[in-house]
Amino acid sequence: MSVLQEIVAGLGVPNFKVLIPEIIILITAFIVFVIELLTKARLLITVVTAIGLFLAAIPTLNMEYGDLTFYGLYIVDSFSLTFKFFLILSTFFVVIVLRPYLEAKNTYYGEYYYLILFSLLGMMMMVSAPNLITFYMGIELASISIYILAGMFKKDYLSKEGAFKYLILGGTGTAVISYGIALIYGRTGSFDFVTIANTITSDNLDVGAVAGIAILIIGLALKASSVPFHFWTPDAYQGAPTPITAFMAVAAKISVFAVILRIMVEAFPFAYEVWNTGWALLAAASMIFGNFVALRQDNVKRMLAYSSIAHSGYILAALAAPSGAAFTALIFYSLVYIFMGLGGFIFLSAMERQYNWSNNINDFRGLAKRSPILALFMLIFMFSMLGIPPTVGFFGKLGVFIALINSDIWWLAVVLVVMSIVSAGYYLRVVIYMYMHEPQSKAKVNLSVGEAFTLAFMAVFVLILGIYPTVFWDISQILSSLLVAGIGR
Amino acid sequence: MVPYEYYVALSGLLMVLGLIGIAVRRNIIALLISTELMLNAVNIAFVAFDMKLGDVGGQVFVFFILTIAAAEAAVGLGLIMAIYRLRRDVDTETLTELKH
Repeated sequence: MSVLQEIVAGLGVPNFKVLIPEIIILITAFIVFVIELLTKARLLITVVTAIGLFLAAIPTLNMEYGDLTFYGLYIVDSFSLTFKFFLILSTFFVVIVLRPYLEAKNTYYGEYYYLILFSLLGMMMMVSAPNLITFYMGIELASISIYILAGMFKKDYLSKEGAFKYLILGGTGTAVISYGIALIYGRTGSFDFVTIANTITSDNLDVGAVAGIAILIIGLALKASSVPFHFWTPDAYQGAPTPITAFMAVAAKISVFAVILRIMVEAFPFAYEVWNTGWALLAAASMIFGNFVALRQDNVKRMLAYSSIAHSGYILAALAAPSGAAFTALIFYSLVYIFMGLGGFIFLSAMERQYNWSNNINDFRGLAKRSPILALFMLIFMFSMLGIPPTVGFFGKLGVFIALINSDIWWLAVVLVVMSIVSAGYYLRVVIYMYMHEPQSKAKVNLSVGEAFTLAFMAVFVLILGIYPTVFWDISQILSSLLVAGIGR
Repeated sequence: MVPYEYYVALSGLLMVLGLIGIAVRRNIIALLISTELMLNAVNIAFVAFDMKLGDVGGQVFVFFILTIAAAEAAVGLGLIMAIYRLRRDVDTETLTELKH
């Protein structure tokens, strides 16, 4: 036997079967790279990307056996597969609305497509990380791709400025996260979640471990754009091309929430009092600040950026309670946020292509008379973000609220309800402008097939899930019980 | 031999210096240098803990951080070039247009 064969025999071959979605995404990214280099055929690039995403989504749904592979560095379980499916789904919708927007704004580059795929790959690595190294590599692959995506608006200064702010603050977040990892490594001698959880118990929790966890939480809060580490969010969201904003606000956020949940529950179950308090404070600050600042925005894109900070608050509030119900609420809210978030931002991306549209609140005047169906879709998204019953946003907030009350965290539950009422101020303002004002222009609204399909799909899903949330609720419940059971793995 | 606590203290100091740099510097190149400084502070911390534990995991992590720092610096310098071409300016006070 040669040396190489001996090494392979000694190490064993990783189980590549469970990595099929990631492998398909990676291969698609390289194929798109080559097509972009050789042909510049725009429709072909979109179609190849969409087909790649579709093919990658199939194995996430019908994979029967997960595994802990790559020598314990990569875990494929129901939790990661579910999130991978929804990440691929949201990326698919971003990809099909991207080309009309870029062509209308005269900023088309083929690079958008494979950078989105690389970023998606990073997010998929993140949600299936059982180890701090995998998590760190995933979050960096996703972030660095998004820095480029956010700044790629041709000859547009605001895009560059937003991307640069994101890069500096995201880089700070990276450094802070890795410093937290260093402290935890210094205390436990391991990067593995389970080993960390086994090394420290609540009895021998010392300053070093608490400092490491606190610093890691600060870094993660920065990536999840929670107040007071949110400064990059509105600027980067406003400057980026709107479909990319949708990608940042939905896919990137969801993967960060998933990884936060997994790290907190699997790696630090012993310190739940520390991270409960930490996330409760961050969530309350995000809800209060995000909603009040969103009230004074006239630019609807920036208003939705602040509202996404507020939604981070609602989702992270679930981490204040260390119970299965709270984790269920977090997973459920993250999954349904995909539909409202994508709906809201892709609505803006479709409208920005219309004549004389600048995302200002005045542009919404009389939209119901120009295009009743589009106005109805926006109404549904706004009601869902606000949390009015026939839409799914209501059940998201209800889940978090009940979980908080069951754990006797009344103050946060009260903040959540009061801030939801405050948020009516700016969500309903959009609705009022659409329905109760006279239109300024009579120009028809033209949508591409992809945009019309995406908006209709999101609106219908928000309503269906609002009437019948059981399916998603059951999925979330199963995932959270598996996650809790996995602590003693 | 120097005890490992000294290295950890040094890395903490560099980290704080980097954070102060992010907060007070107004030159966009200096901001980028500050983030790189923080990442290098983390490298020192990892090597110091590695020395304490007698393990190689931390040293491997340092390689990952070096790679990521290089990628981030490349993207950051590209953005600085793009900003400079559009505005001929590197001062954040005069460059900032996205506010509130």
